[in-house]
Amino acid sequence: MFNTNFHTLKIAMDVALKRQEIHSQNIANAETPNYKRKYIAFEELLSESKMKLKLRTTSANHISNIKESINPILKTQENTSLTNDKNNVDIDVEMAEMVKNALKYQTLSRLISANIERYNTVVRNIR
Amino acid sequence: MNEFNIMTIAATGMSAQRLRIDVITNNLANSETTRTKNGEPYRRKVPVFQELVRNIKGRVENGGVIVKKIYEDQSPFRIVYDPTHPDADENGYVKLPNVNVVREMVDMINAQRAYEANVTAFNTTKAMINSALQIGR
Repeated sequence: MFNTNFHTLKIAMDVALKRQEIHSQNIANAETPNYKRKYIAFEELLSESKMKLKLRTTSANHISNIKESINPILKTQENTSLTNDKNNVDIDVEMAEMVKNALKYQTLSRLISANIERYNTVVRNIR
Repeated sequence: MNEFNIMTIAATGMSAQRLRIDVITNNLANSETTRTKNGEPYRRKVPVFQELVRNIKGRVENGGVIVKKIYEDQSPFRIVYDPTHPDADENGYVKLPNVNVVREMVDMINAQRAYEANVTAFNTTKAMINSALQIGR
């Protein structure tokens, strides 16, 4: 009965949390010699999974094509160097990205609440 | 999920930077110390950071940062002409620690800023978890 919105939102939130972890790691290591900034490639994976959500299964025996979870691809930016100690964490970029990521996460959680609210309307028959 | 691991990562960053400020303060306090246990003037100390990655059941997990070692700076001592100093040699020259006060101050501001960045990371994560707790309320 529940639509797939929940699932999409859950995956997006999981990845936002993972992103937050990577940002924290980058910020904690902003002064570590030879440390290279990490980042997550995810948006392309999400759009791919959204495409798949459009497919329908006509029988209960059909295998659902929705993945239970997505393994975000962790990448390391190797080729650049910002300081003399071969560290390439740009603290300003990292902070901005982290705040953006947090706001995105909060938006997603509010979207989930809105989804639940809609079911509440049906269940309680209130308008 | 690993929400709280993120906060631990930020905490390792904070404690690393605090230790760095500790070391810098020690350097500043000893910037004129001519006598140490091993008989020579004080040597400037530098903490060296390393990325901490934990390996839990074959899965690599980010652990933040760790202070690997505190090195002693081997650069030459400052030599100042001061014949009245008790530790002066026969020509009147005194060996002073290789601590450059201005450099230490700059490092200290740097460490402070890095500490604040970690605090911000911690607070942002806290706001995120709080918003997740508000789901369905």
